[in-house]
Amino acid sequence: MNYEIVCGIETHIELATKTKIFCGCTTEFGGEPNTHCCPVCTGQPGSLPILNQKVVEYAIKAGLALNCKINTKSHMDRKNYVYPDLPKAYQISQYDEPLCEKGYIELDSGKRIGITRIHIEEDAGKLIHENGYTYIDYNRSGVPLIEIVSEPDISSAEEAKEYAEKLQLIMRYIGISDCKMQEGSMRCDVNLSLRKPGDPRFGVRTEIKNINSLSFIQKAVMAEAERQADILDAGGTIVQQTMRYDEGTNSTTPMRDKENSDDYRYFPDPDILRFSIDDEKVEEIRTSLPELPFDKLKRYVNVLGLPEATAKQISRYRKVAEFFEGALAEGASVKNTANLIVGTIFSNMDTEEEKELFAVRISAAQFAALVKLADEKKINIGFAQSTLQKMLESGKPVEEFIKPEDLVGISNEELESLCKEAVDANPKAVADVRSGKDKAINMLFGYIMKKTGGKADIRKAEVLLRKLIGQ
Amino acid sequence: MTISKTEIEKLAKLAKLSFSEEELERFTAEFDEIIAFADTINQSIEGGTEQIRNVGARMVSFDDLRTDEVVPSLPNEKILSNVEGYNGFFSVERSKK
Amino acid sequence: MRTGISELAIRLRNREISAVELTKAYIDAIEKLNPTLNAYVHLTFDTALKAAEKADQMLKEDDAPLLCGIPMALKDNICTDGLTTTCCSKILKGFKPYHDATVWEKLKAHGAVLLGKTNMDEFAMGSTSETSCYGAPLNPRNTNYVTGGSSGGSAAAVCANLAVYSLGSDTGGSIRQPASFCGVVGLKPTYGAVSRYGLIAYGSSLDQIGPLTNSVKDAAIVFDAIKGGDKRDQTSVDYDYGSSLAECLDRDVKGMRIGVAEEFFNGINPEIKSKIEEAIKLFEINGAVIENIRLPALKLALPVYYIIACAEASSNLGRYDGIRYGYRTSFYTSIEDMIVKTRSEGFGDEVKRRIMLGTYVLSSGYYDAYYKKACLIREEINREFDAVFEKCDVLVAPTAPNTAFPLNYKGASPVEMYLSDICTVPVNIAGVPAISVPCGEDARGLPIGMQIIGRRFDEATVLQVAHFYEQIAGKVIGAYEGGAGI
Ligand SMILES: [Zn+2]
Repeated sequence: MNYEIVCGIETHIELATKTKIFCGCTTEFGGEPNTHCCPVCTGQPGSLPILNQKVVEYAIKAGLALNCKINTKSHMDRKNYVYPDLPKAYQISQYDEPLCEKGYIELDSGKRIGITRIHIEEDAGKLIHENGYTYIDYNRSGVPLIEIVSEPDISSAEEAKEYAEKLQLIMRYIGISDCKMQEGSMRCDVNLSLRKPGDPRFGVRTEIKNINSLSFIQKAVMAEAERQADILDAGGTIVQQTMRYDEGTNSTTPMRDKENSDDYRYFPDPDILRFSIDDEKVEEIRTSLPELPFDKLKRYVNVLGLPEATAKQISRYRKVAEFFEGALAEGASVKNTANLIVGTIFSNMDTEEEKELFAVRISAAQFAALVKLADEKKINIGFAQSTLQKMLESGKPVEEFIKPEDLVGISNEELESLCKEAVDANPKAVADVRSGKDKAINMLFGYIMKKTGGKADIRKAEVLLRKLIGQ
Repeated sequence: MTISKTEIEKLAKLAKLSFSEEELERFTAEFDEIIAFADTINQSIEGGTEQIRNVGARMVSFDDLRTDEVVPSLPNEKILSNVEGYNGFFSVERSKK
Repeated sequence: MRTGISELAIRLRNREISAVELTKAYIDAIEKLNPTLNAYVHLTFDTALKAAEKADQMLKEDDAPLLCGIPMALKDNICTDGLTTTCCSKILKGFKPYHDATVWEKLKAHGAVLLGKTNMDEFAMGSTSETSCYGAPLNPRNTNYVTGGSSGGSAAAVCANLAVYSLGSDTGGSIRQPASFCGVVGLKPTYGAVSRYGLIAYGSSLDQIGPLTNSVKDAAIVFDAIKGGDKRDQTSVDYDYGSSLAECLDRDVKGMRIGVAEEFFNGINPEIKSKIEEAIKLFEINGAVIENIRLPALKLALPVYYIIACAEASSNLGRYDGIRYGYRTSFYTSIEDMIVKTRSEGFGDEVKRRIMLGTYVLSSGYYDAYYKKACLIREEINREFDAVFEKCDVLVAPTAPNTAFPLNYKGASPVEMYLSDICTVPVNIAGVPAISVPCGEDARGLPIGMQIIGRRFDEATVLQVAHFYEQIAGKVIGAYEGGAGI
């Protein structure tokens, strides 16, 4: 039987603030165990939490970027449960007055996935189970998180992946988190149920916890949907439970519950006063937001006329987009700038992370100086590419590699006589081309490039050569 | 309103407490009296329907919140000074007989 | 009357006595009396003597603070860096905090000399200090009676002259009621006037630290030193009190509007009632205008208090799990089992009772009927207080409906004990300041306390009225003979 997937995603994202949410300890990753700790984040008796302003600001940024309504009045609640990684036996979170509500993410198809709410809360410590002992490190305890809860609007595994991908992209773009799923700075829990098409009622849902890669989200949704469909087809019923996705077997299995109860006894934290954010502050944060990747993409295609594939590659990474726009601001052409970034600079960057970081040794202005030489046809593209590579390796400006004499182009007459020379000097290649072995024309190109030191416009030369060969 | 022994057991589980059979009997009886006492608030004036927030009407503005500046953490020896730690970790043996 | 802080300060400055000598006199007295009275549970004589030496150095300077070199005590729920702090609970056995409470940090900077930590009800939950894991302190005025609670050790230490002053904490009367039982002065400041940082939490929205002293002036001096906003406690307020309150005590009550609410007098022991009425008459004779007012929501103050305080406590006390500090059970089958056993063995009955009640009123299905309803009634009580303080400058009420209970009194159920907090809890619910001053003795010679309640952050008027009463009423209770003899 056919079922419709009803899926929502809860995403926890660690915020890139300098300090923890309620104390001045650093949020730096790593460090010896229990060295980024103080009385507050280890739950010492008598200690009190003091809310970090930056956490509120970042959460509002996230809310604005996801088209949310910002609650200008908000407060913190206590979520009570006992577990060794939670030093106060309650997590300070937000229950009925989250900072942001009612937003959405737009998928490529134009479908909107609703965002129910975004709230701020603290992370727990880390447990290591070894040799019959449990070891506890509270360095991560109190690291600020936002939890982004989507509406159950997702109806396929692909949509689930695209939602998470877009979310990750936006959060990185606005600079509030590095969203590294492997390191746990972005974690997804997927809620999923099935129903018969057209049925307005929801089925019983399960929750797949802690998925740590984008492709696993897609796979986990497929695996769980299949599992549920098999049960329903066999006339069974779905049990509401927490599942784990196992990438080895590509299947979902029920998790043992660490908590035998989920009565969290939320109530407003009496140690933290309710806080207000005035509209001016919200506007100030709104203006501080960069243009978002999808808006950039649209602009690159519609206004700048870039092909969609190129535009996507550039708009995807905030630093790349900034570099691109920086070069344009210096007067470089859209097409050459984009092609050199995607063709040459990206060829030095194998991973997403490198592109994300975009640690290039030249400035956008230095880059633009080179692009403009190509724009003005003072050098050809091939020469520009090889020069750019040298600039990237050395971090030196274009003047170091291109001498004034290199900039003199080859005149049409010169090129014509060179082409004649090439045809005369390579009778075999000419014959091969005539007989259909088109690759042989490269011999002629090589001759011309060698003679001109790579300065000849190869496209012009091709036209002339084919004329001479009689094609 | 009275409370059953099962309910007391459920609460104890939430509160991470355990009671012996004898304690449970006594607690259940005492608890009935305590709940009846707490219940007196429901025999009186009707409360409003507004949501409750934090204590009092005091609120702070965004600018009153803590600025994001790192304060040195405490040395590991201090953090672990009230327990027997292990290699810098808090440590608990998972069972002890 | 006993030598006050300002007089001791003069003697210290005139070299009539050194801080070390003064401290030694108190140490001697503690060694002699504490084995009986059990006012102190942890003694810090070594650090006291070192602090006294330092104070003697400080006293050579002209600008040494008033409290410099004065021996004092802290309730055992106020954190002291490196010094045992246990809330008189087995579950915090051996706990040495690595942070100082803000109040202690402030007093240390004033050159205070800490003699030790005082006995209290476990986690400040109780009205007799008998729930202490160290056994009850005894009332110095009659050792067959309790000190009151929960700051019983702090009251006993000041009463028996085993400390010049002490700090206590007051969640529902825990400073004022033992002050009343022991015949000393106890001030519960406005919620937020004194930082709670380093005070081990019981009911966070109600807890407040304050002084127990032998005179209103001493209370004002100590309050001056500990008050003020603290960036480590967001609920604290940097209120501008103008000048030092201790220097502005002299004011008569002519024209002052003193409110008397009959709700405070329902079910009060007649002896106490008549003593308070005498005091009210005294105010009237001296030109005060007595206003009879009503506070109808007060009848709900007790259940509201117990619901809110216990709800907060159930959450605040979740952290005692045997992992990071304090007691851990010896044998267990899993970590979960370790936590449950540790808590069940580490907490006493009254603490368990309140954790259970707090868990109940927050649990799903009951939240609206109890916790939420209590918070709404709390707002109503606040509104009534606000309205009353438009008509009155202060309210006068008994501190407790009774004088000290006999030790090991088994005649009352837990709820009957809760009912004895009737006069003090409304003050915590509303977050207003109040002081308890001695105003007489009952037939058994046990002290009676009178409460003066003021507007938020109007400790000045509260202290002035109390000071006026103290001056004009003269000797209302017998002097305690003994202690440090200074
Ligand atoms: Zn910290």
